[in-house]
Amino acid sequence: MSSSSRDRSSRITEDEINDLILKLQPLLPDSMSNTRVSASMILKETCNYLKKLHKEVDDLSERLSQLLASGSFDADTIRALLRR
Amino acid sequence: MKSTSPQNPNPLKKKLASRFLKAMKKLSHKISSSPSPPSTAERRRRHRAVRAAAYASMASAVGPRRAWSRALLRKLRSKATATSGRKTARRNPRNIGTRFLGLNELCDVVPGGKAMDSCSLLSETGHYIKCLRAQVQIMREILDSSSSSSSSRIL
Repeated sequence: MSSSSRDRSSRITEDEINDLILKLQPLLPDSMSNTRVSASMILKETCNYLKKLHKEVDDLSERLSQLLASGSFDADTIRALLRR
Repeated sequence: MKSTSPQNPNPLKKKLASRFLKAMKKLSHKISSSPSPPSTAERRRRHRAVRAAAYASMASAVGPRRAWSRALLRKLRSKATATSGRKTARRNPRNIGTRFLGLNELCDVVPGGKAMDSCSLLSETGHYIKCLRAQVQIMREILDSSSSSSSSRIL
């Protein structure tokens, strides 16, 4: 087991940070998961991915608000469909 | 489409979905009771309301166990007062020198990121990504199931 940093909590080593960053790699979409990539690259892609997800939420919110306005939103039907 | 296999039903996603649907139902009642057609300002307001509901249901489904959800809940609760200024000066807890410059950008996109140390920020990021992805999926599924069910409706 790797030793945890029992020294003062402000002393976090670069290696520990590096390891935590590498853990993010499998969460990134597409090609990122398979190749060996630098931590800096992973950080950059993570930021981009998060921005992309925020934009998606925004766009989908717009479409959903139009759906609500159209009156064809039926929460119960959708709930049943989602629970398949 | 999803298969009906009972294994691994992803309880978080179910929780997210049910909260978000509840919020949508509420919004739908509000909207149907107002006169049509909506003004541009009203349309923008509704868009923002749906978006706020998305983040609110994410934050409340996760609850206080994560720093990012706590930060979101705080932000949503203080929306009424509409204060945009930070109460405390910006802390810079990047205690790893200049090697990982990307952390400075990351802390801006993760809720509450600015107040986190690097380790917390990275672990919070992972969880936040998973929840965001689930939320996006739910929103897409609602849209997909609405369009398919309306097209199969007999007029």
